[in-house]
Amino acid sequence: MQKGIAALLDKTLETVNVTGEKLANVFSKETHRFTITGLSRSGKSVLFTSLMTMLKSRSEEGYACLPLLRYLPPSLVEHMAVEPIEGYKPFPVDENLKKLDDGEWPAATEEAYGFKLIIRLKQVSTFKRHLFPHTNIVFEFIDYPGEWITDIPMLNKTYAQWSDSAWAQLSSGPQQYYAQQWKAFVNDFDFEQAPSNDAMLALVSAYRQYLFTAKANGISLLQPGSFLLEASHFDWHQYGFTPLPSSITSDVSHPWFIAFNEHFQRFQKAWLTSLKQSVFRETDKQIILVDLFEGLNHSRQHLYQLKETLSHLADTFVYGQTNWFSRTVLRKQQIGKVAFVATKADLVPVSQRDNLLSLLKQVTEGARARFADKPIQFEHFLVSALPVTDDGEAENSVRYRDVNTGYVEATFEPIPATLKDMEPDAHFPVPLAQVPSDYKARMLNGKGVDRLLQFLLVNGEAS
Amino acid sequence: MTDTPPDKGQQPVTSTPPYRPKVVQQSLDMTPPEIRMPAKVEGDTWLSSTHNKGLSLGTATLGLGVFSLIGFFIFDAYTTLSASFASHPIGSGVLATLLCGFVASFSYLSFREWRGYKQVNKALEQATHIASLNAQSSVKTVESVLNKHGKQFSSQSYAAHCYRQFNAQVQPDMTAKERLGLYQDTVINPVQTKAQQLLNKESLTAGSLAFISPNNLIQTFAVIWVSFRTIRRMANVYGLRPGTLGNWSLMKVLAQNIAAQGIFDLATDEVANQIGGSLSAKFMENSAEAIAAGALNMRLGKALMKILK
Repeated sequence: MQKGIAALLDKTLETVNVTGEKLANVFSKETHRFTITGLSRSGKSVLFTSLMTMLKSRSEEGYACLPLLRYLPPSLVEHMAVEPIEGYKPFPVDENLKKLDDGEWPAATEEAYGFKLIIRLKQVSTFKRHLFPHTNIVFEFIDYPGEWITDIPMLNKTYAQWSDSAWAQLSSGPQQYYAQQWKAFVNDFDFEQAPSNDAMLALVSAYRQYLFTAKANGISLLQPGSFLLEASHFDWHQYGFTPLPSSITSDVSHPWFIAFNEHFQRFQKAWLTSLKQSVFRETDKQIILVDLFEGLNHSRQHLYQLKETLSHLADTFVYGQTNWFSRTVLRKQQIGKVAFVATKADLVPVSQRDNLLSLLKQVTEGARARFADKPIQFEHFLVSALPVTDDGEAENSVRYRDVNTGYVEATFEPIPATLKDMEPDAHFPVPLAQVPSDYKARMLNGKGVDRLLQFLLVNGEAS
Repeated sequence: MTDTPPDKGQQPVTSTPPYRPKVVQQSLDMTPPEIRMPAKVEGDTWLSSTHNKGLSLGTATLGLGVFSLIGFFIFDAYTTLSASFASHPIGSGVLATLLCGFVASFSYLSFREWRGYKQVNKALEQATHIASLNAQSSVKTVESVLNKHGKQFSSQSYAAHCYRQFNAQVQPDMTAKERLGLYQDTVINPVQTKAQQLLNKESLTAGSLAFISPNNLIQTFAVIWVSFRTIRRMANVYGLRPGTLGNWSLMKVLAQNIAAQGIFDLATDEVANQIGGSLSAKFMENSAEAIAAGALNMRLGKALMKILK
């Protein structure tokens, strides 16, 4: 009897505790879910590393960085903690900092990492201060390989649709210059032979070779990008596929069509669906990272291709404003705020950054058109999470430590403000900067990260 | 099957058209500059100056005045006794020197009050300029107005401390709106908060002094003293010296406070008499006077904040 009463009392106390915690969470916890959408090489890992270093140095070491982040005034920050998100590997911030210490750039992301950044703020409201002395601002970030994001639009296509559009892309735009070897391979390939494992693997390997070549030459629309990474958990050796000429995809009874169609469906079900649910889950804020230098480094055609890729990506996400009821009760999220961010902005001189911003606005036109009829707040930002350049002597020049030739000055002709202004036969070679020895000071002097976070955190900020 | 990509790292077979580079690179024979870590946000360690170093000018003036007065009394007595001014040149010389010192110090104090008054008016004008700035203002205009506003703070004040923090954080690429926001966050808001904290503390002191004062005369003197101290300390937060006699509206509030405190004293005395002379009645009376003194000091501080904000 006594045991029963004690158990009941324990249960009651536990319920009261849990209810109390939940109640406290409702009033004193504010969660912001960010999805950071960025193509491969767009600077996601460096941005995450810088962001964490900046926030930590600001709250724990008292450095006056992120001055425009008014939402989190340093005087109110009690402490900051990083926690893992269930089901994800923790973000390797220490490893990345170690690499920077050793003069190497952080390795490209090849699997998904997740982390929560919890910032505890002192309560300012007089009434709430007595009940809940602090507010927890929780940021949830997920870092994933940029190669995965380009695959998500494949979920909405049949194999024939994807193959035909991929084949068409290989024949136009800048891809055509890098697909010649692959096309020659297909032309010589015997499709009369049965689609054996070895034959399919030979075809897939040749296509994969094209993907690597295209990636190395600044092509952003690479499908399936997951084939480029061994950590993708999809067995492309066994279930790989490639686009095929329309003469084959138009014949649904063709053995190669049947084989690749089956592999494509497996790719959608076994890989993309779970990827979308786990990594690209519902969030309320989106940061789209754009590396304009991938385009500027190559050609105008590359910039047009980047614009097209961004437009496809925006099609993947659900945009709209979520009210309190659907967010809290129905647990339904839609992206209501979008920030388009041009990373590595310090690579161009200050005098050319207005043009860079204008170019960014034009490159995102297609993506913005996807939510033009919805009340979505959006803004464009130039960000240098780890500035590697110094001002040059002339206003159109920058200085940096080149990986090969030491300290150099790069003098720029005007950056085009629109795609039309970019000469078709010209390009802006991207500076190959080495990791500066004073990288931490540069990180803490990073530009634009505070503006970006402030925009995303403040409710009702007009775009 | 190997896990490495087939030709990763190899030169791809491509036939891209040649592109003309629009960036010219040139090697420099110099050491790259080291970027400094950003300034640290200094802790909120500013303290209102409560300890005067040595003898203050005000005390010296008062002393000189008292000495002059005493001197004149002595001199008067001395002349009365000797009945001859001409026969005592040293005594008259000393007294004349003391008097000259008093007059000179008093003149300087008056000049300082006038300068403080002018400074407040200038600050009010600058505050109007800041209020008229908006996101459409140019960066240059905002920078110029904020610089002017910041430079008028006396170097030891809390406002000057905040202004140094602002300067450490401002970056060249910030827009006019962002600069204004940063100024609001690092200077205007902290100064206002600090002034409020100081006022609360001073009002508590006023209340405590009123509570323990044995009679109304001492209480009135205590209230006057705390009022002047509040004005001085708060002016030190704002980095401006309003002038002890310089701002008429402030003095009006101070006079009203003293009058109100007097009336309140009378009322509480009367109530205490009606209740009887018990200890509890005295306690009630002093408590009521303490609350009134605190509230009146708060009123004075609010008026000051309104002027200096």
